[in-house]
Amino acid sequence: MRPHKNRGLGSGLNELTLSAAVGTKLHIEDEDAFHANFAQEMGVSVDMMRELKEVCSIASLRCHPEDQEPDPEVVPEDPTLKTLVERKKKQDYKSSLKISKNRHDLYADEQERLAVMMKPEAVENMVSEGDVILTMNVYYPATFEKFCYVRPHMTLLLMGSQRLTELRDAICCASDLQMCGEFSNAPDMAPDFVSKEHYKSAFFFFEGVFYNDMRYPECRDISQTTITWAKANNFPPYSQAKMEDTKLLDLQVKVGFPYLYCHQGDCEHVVIITDVRLTHKDDCLDRKFYPLLTHKHRIATQKCAVCYTFIARWCTTGDQFAPSHPCVFCDKCFRMLHYDADGNKLGDFQAYPYIDRGAFN
Amino acid sequence: MKTKSSRNQQVRSDCEELLARFQQTDSVRFEVFSQIWREMKFGHIFFGTAGREKRAFGRAALDVAAVYFLPPFSFQIRAGGLYLLHGLYHCQTASPRVPIRLALKDWEDVLAFEKDAVGAQHLDAVFLLRQLLLRKAFHFAAMPALLTFKRSKEEARSRLCKRFVARARGPQELVGRDAMEELSNIHHLYGKLKSSVFSEAQRERLGVALIRHNLPAQLRGHVVSFHGWQKRKQQEESDDEDEGDGEGTSSRAESSRRAQLLSSIKSKAYGQAAETCKSRRHRQVEVNAGEESGPALSKVRSKSSKVSLKARTTENVCIIGDMSKEAATSTRIHHLTALDRGGRQAQKDESAGE
Repeated sequence: MRPHKNRGLGSGLNELTLSAAVGTKLHIEDEDAFHANFAQEMGVSVDMMRELKEVCSIASLRCHPEDQEPDPEVVPEDPTLKTLVERKKKQDYKSSLKISKNRHDLYADEQERLAVMMKPEAVENMVSEGDVILTMNVYYPATFEKFCYVRPHMTLLLMGSQRLTELRDAICCASDLQMCGEFSNAPDMAPDFVSKEHYKSAFFFFEGVFYNDMRYPECRDISQTTITWAKANNFPPYSQAKMEDTKLLDLQVKVGFPYLYCHQGDCEHVVIITDVRLTHKDDCLDRKFYPLLTHKHRIATQKCAVCYTFIARWCTTGDQFAPSHPCVFCDKCFRMLHYDADGNKLGDFQAYPYIDRGAFN
Repeated sequence: MKTKSSRNQQVRSDCEELLARFQQTDSVRFEVFSQIWREMKFGHIFFGTAGREKRAFGRAALDVAAVYFLPPFSFQIRAGGLYLLHGLYHCQTASPRVPIRLALKDWEDVLAFEKDAVGAQHLDAVFLLRQLLLRKAFHFAAMPALLTFKRSKEEARSRLCKRFVARARGPQELVGRDAMEELSNIHHLYGKLKSSVFSEAQRERLGVALIRHNLPAQLRGHVVSFHGWQKRKQQEESDDEDEGDGEGTSSRAESSRRAQLLSSIKSKAYGQAAETCKSRRHRQVEVNAGEESGPALSKVRSKSSKVSLKARTTENVCIIGDMSKEAATSTRIHHLTALDRGGRQAQKDESAGE
């Protein structure tokens, strides 16, 4: 439970690979070579080695006669293990429910499955040996009470050699797509005003340091307000660094500790590094796919109040045609209801572009 | 969340069952282990999982089993834990296989285990460990499990199976043969030095004990009685558990529980050596702290409530001889030098202990 302080994420684990490689001779790929080497190191005779291999073979773990392989998909008859007894009970109950498939189960690890054991086409895209992989959970901003309890918005795998800006670009949040302003007079203008392009400043906050995104000339140091305030109120001093200069390896963080990602001025996400580990041969080994999305939370979308089919794109207030105030519409219904054939505004209302929270589903 | 932790509980109890059987054989051979494995049909534990359940269950099972491969468990259990990991890793139905997570802090322990196994020529254990490493069955991670902020309470309070834990050997190792010889020499010299301060007559008159008489023998006696206590406690615990397995809901069980409750109350009452007035110090109630009331006490309490620190201390700490008196009362400055009869009483204790 206690978060683990990890000083210089990479160094400890790199030492580990080295000692693992030396201690166990990982460079031997071949099992035969491994056996020969083992026999030599332990001073074991050939006969004894054969016996050892036989005793330790996987066949010795088989729990059923060789010729009758049971079906691994079903729980065996009259199980004795507690786990199996319980599983059988649960399966019997489930089959009594007459629901054959659960689509949540079907798609739950979809993204995770996609990238397993992916090998790059070009050698230079190969993840280097001994690189670390970090698992990051990014949560929804706590603007809405329910969001405090939902599962992580997205889970990303990143390599230690990547920069914080790559993490920032991989985080997708509906507030980046938000358009500000009232567009009832010119609905076609709206798509030009996406927030992401207007307000590029953002920062991560790890262990008392604000990492600001300063890649573009229009980026501003939005952490300065907080730092000044903290100084004025006798808080411990905070420092600043640039997001684009910081590799994940160089961070000093606690694993499992909640940190902050802030963008669009006040859209604040909790970020937790849940795991740091060395790369493994079954991981996705193609650099291009990192940051790799392994989980995305699917959220219910707000549907158009007219057709109940499409996701809402517009939100109107003070609308004389609408059944409620405010009210949401999809693009098509919005235009059909509020404009004549020539695109002239009918009636009196204010229209704001609406970006659904589930836009990234 | 609840189903997850209850599933872990079941897997844990299955693993403990397997390891308990392995422990009874007093062997670290893989042959013996694999026979028990086959008897229990342990490989079937993965059967009946489908789809994403496969990986999730594989993860859970390996996480549960990995605990037994690491300290504080005894060497035999750790070997059993290694075999268990080997078995679970190779029998899982998921593809690619779910790897075993090995934390950075645990790597040293694994190396130490390997060294011990090589030293004792337990070739099967070494072979299987290296084979797992060769087949890249491990994820070398910073922490043993993924860390997030919300975890269920049950998981946080996961307990260790006490029978498997290696017995503390600190006192036995510290008070070895060489150390005893050394100590008796030093003690002899120290006694001489101290007695040279006063003449024989002066000492007679004052009645002050300058040194503890025959300290090495006392110390040895204490170590022996500690060892005995440890053994007895373990015996009691295993007896308790055996009883628990076979116990029905007969009235006999009910009455024995009552008897246990009564005895625990009694022992509690007598357990605290009341501080007697100074005039009656020589007739103090002697508490045999080696005799334990702990297990009975903990059994009476409901399982859900956590046993208090004091109760846990009395259960787990061995107090020998007149130490219980000192432990029960707070230390006072003027008690730091004891009169001679303290030494005599200790001698009596020692003879009783042996």
